[in-house]
Amino acid sequence: MAFGLAFIYVPLAVVLINSFNVSTVFAWPPRGFTTKWWTSAIGNDSIRQAVLTSVEVGLVATTAALVMGTLIAFGLGRYSFFGRQTLSLLVVLPIALPGIVTALAFRTAFRTILGIELSIWTVAVAHATFAMVVVYNNVVARLRRMGNVAEEASMDLGANTFTTFRLITFPLLRGAMVAGALLAFGLSFDEIVVTLFTAPPGVTTLPIWIFQNLSRPNQAPVVNVVAAVLVVASIIPIYLSQRLAGDTTAGGRI
Amino acid sequence: MAVVVEQTQEPVGGSAVHRLSATLFRRPRVRLAALLALPTTWLVVVYLAALFSLLATAFFSVDSFTNAVVRTLTLQNFHDVLSDPAYLQATVRTVAIAATVTVLCTLLGFPMAFFIAKIAPLRWRGLLVALVVTPLWAAYLVKVYAWQAMVQPDTGVLAWLLRPIGLSGPGYGATATILTLSYLWLPYMILPIYAGLQRLPDSLVDASGDLGATPLRTLRSVVLPLIYPSVVAGSVFTFSLSLGDYITVQIVGGQTQMIGNIVYQNYTGNLPFAAAIATIPVVIMVIYLTLVRRTGALDNL
Repeated sequence: MAFGLAFIYVPLAVVLINSFNVSTVFAWPPRGFTTKWWTSAIGNDSIRQAVLTSVEVGLVATTAALVMGTLIAFGLGRYSFFGRQTLSLLVVLPIALPGIVTALAFRTAFRTILGIELSIWTVAVAHATFAMVVVYNNVVARLRRMGNVAEEASMDLGANTFTTFRLITFPLLRGAMVAGALLAFGLSFDEIVVTLFTAPPGVTTLPIWIFQNLSRPNQAPVVNVVAAVLVVASIIPIYLSQRLAGDTTAGGRI
Repeated sequence: MAVVVEQTQEPVGGSAVHRLSATLFRRPRVRLAALLALPTTWLVVVYLAALFSLLATAFFSVDSFTNAVVRTLTLQNFHDVLSDPAYLQATVRTVAIAATVTVLCTLLGFPMAFFIAKIAPLRWRGLLVALVVTPLWAAYLVKVYAWQAMVQPDTGVLAWLLRPIGLSGPGYGATATILTLSYLWLPYMILPIYAGLQRLPDSLVDASGDLGATPLRTLRSVVLPLIYPSVVAGSVFTFSLSLGDYITVQIVGGQTQMIGNIVYQNYTGNLPFAAAIATIPVVIMVIYLTLVRRTGALDNL
């Protein structure tokens, strides 16, 4: 266990330490301590622009994924019908198939078949498709656990379908929906393969920015800082989703 | 009662809503259709159509002069893929790397999952799971970048650690790729095994011990057979994710080429050929899923 945790955390610690390294090229052990790379990263316009693009794509994709993931969770979780198995397979397919297949599939559909120009919207459409899965997983798990006793009671007491949804179902589901949306946003924020294939040259999300600057030696110190920030930031979705949903041990990512 | 109250409060709107509500209640099929219409349309129109266009494109060709995609069906791409041994080698290499990653993840993940589920005190359990899961949310590229720093020849962390005992680091190449991919997908293996072990009653392990089995025998005859579907569920992730990867290979793989790299190199110049190559991992995954379906592991996904 200790070895396993060391295996998991040593590389991340190296990234954190390295962001304070004086040297511009990576060499272990570090030569000295400095915070000047942090200052220059904070003032960097291209990073700020990339973060903004990532947030925009993430928000659009998350909204679409939240609506569709919740609807499909109700459909698959509460009803049995012809083709249910097929549909539940279809929902998880975008993350079950290798990323490059999904990525290339979207590219051929957009460019070769439909002939539309790639834009921030094509990225968001592709992201929404696989982000749907995590919303679906979270909501369907909650639906399964809560049963429909409370809803039936509400109906028996004379509330109609909409009132029941507003006063009973939605409040019970809210936590799972927020957790699912959060995880969907995280997934979109981190996505690189599908983004590379569906984004036009001008649209740079944060992962694309890192990827482009990874091979530029003079940018290395700033990349280190961005990497360190992302390592620290990875705690946030885990913490929030555990607080909100309580039961997402897997973080809903699986 | 409630109906009467509502009607007195909202004589027109209330009754319309009420009628709609009553109709929906009486007709579950209508409710189901309303729920599934949008997401199913999206999945079919956007995603299935995209997969289909990938398949169709694999049968198209490229005009050698204008580089435009020509929409006439041809088997030329598949012929090219099958006739050049370099692509077969890349496929074999990719499958070998994905299989090694899966084995490494199992060997490393099983003891960790077992420790968390069966040995660690109950109050540590949540924390340990969180410790295993958190890196999943650290950006993919950052983790690959971290491993670039780990394996770098001469100045990498591993090279520095191994120097005192007279060894050098792995440097860039297939070994570095396998290490990095194992690192990336390890939590995907730990979590299903952990979930499986949680469902395994302690009493079975105790009973096996009471009947005189050594811990090793208990592991082999009781724990492993019951945990097998969970391991397979985890392996679907580690295998599939490794199969399609090309960014890790590009960063730490040195000269190593996987299927993903070939797709990446061709997708701007010759999209139909890239599409034909991309069907290879799909076929491999379909074979893999068919093979493991009998274990019942797919119900755990």
